[in-house]
Amino acid sequence: MNSLTMPSSRAMTSPAAADTLQTRFALRVAARLSERSHDLEPELSERLRVAREQAMERARAARSAQAAPGRVGTSGGALLLGGGPRWWTRVAAVVPAIALIAGLIAIRQLETEAEISTAAEIDAALLTDDLPPTAYSDAGFAEFLKTPRD
Amino acid sequence: MASDKELSDFLKSVEKRAFKRALYSVRDEDAALDIVQDTMIRLSEKYVDRPAAELPLLFQRILSNATMDWFRRQKVRTSVVKNFSDFESAGDGDDFDILETLEAMGGSLASESTADSVSRAQILLAIEAEVAQLPGRQREAFLLRYWEELDVAETAAAMGCSEGSVKTHCSRAVHALAKALQAKGISP
Repeated sequence: MNSLTMPSSRAMTSPAAADTLQTRFALRVAARLSERSHDLEPELSERLRVAREQAMERARAARSAQAAPGRVGTSGGALLLGGGPRWWTRVAAVVPAIALIAGLIAIRQLETEAEISTAAEIDAALLTDDLPPTAYSDAGFAEFLKTPRD
Repeated sequence: MASDKELSDFLKSVEKRAFKRALYSVRDEDAALDIVQDTMIRLSEKYVDRPAAELPLLFQRILSNATMDWFRRQKVRTSVVKNFSDFESAGDGDDFDILETLEAMGGSLASESTADSVSRAQILLAIEAEVAQLPGRQREAFLLRYWEELDVAETAAAMGCSEGSVKTHCSRAVHALAKALQAKGISP
């Protein structure tokens, strides 16, 4: 099977010689494994061939993508917004959000002013009325208001 | 950058050994084919711009990672146990002399004809079975070093370990194989 000849045991005592023996043995085992791997079933060989061809298709696609990176990278958003510069697309995306926030702040401000105005009118009415405001805390006056008028 | 032909030739040259390597680990033909296909595709997609000389090491590293990914996905507990066995001492047979065995095997090759009693195919099957039974890291180091013919540094890079670990794994693998094959009366 194999015509490999080995030195006598007396000569093979050094670590280097031991390494050589181990390597020779390992290479013989590897050679036997190679014999076995060449005898794969046809179905398995065919499936490996198909896998290899799929990998080659992916490699060609990857090469094409690397050869034309600009076309892929700048298409999407810029084209949708008329092909303008990149900073403009960012501004266009941020402006509606800013407008919404400003509108909400303005509405809140108007509501606050309206509440202040209403409270001021009530206070003014109370202060200018003939009835003093302390009358509303008087128990007798409260009872008088509850009493039905005949 | 490797050309289409270089890449195709490389994949063709390595695919069967890669399949066997994966098969020894996962022990399932379909899974081994998936791992090899995954490895080929990862190499083709991500490293298509690398020179042809770098492909073997990259391929072996991706194959190792793809096999580990498979085990992670499958959560095969036995594989974990098997990996742990790599840390155990290989010196369970104290009376076994590796040098004596290797010399005896080498010296007897010319005169001893094992094919007289066992067919060649059976011998190859037995050798393959013994390789498959090696602990995972030992088998990986042995196959990368002697079957894929990577040097120690490349094997260490592919396995993600030190060169010293590679030497230890290889030595233990050879020791275990020699002992197992001697017990069966097989000379490779």
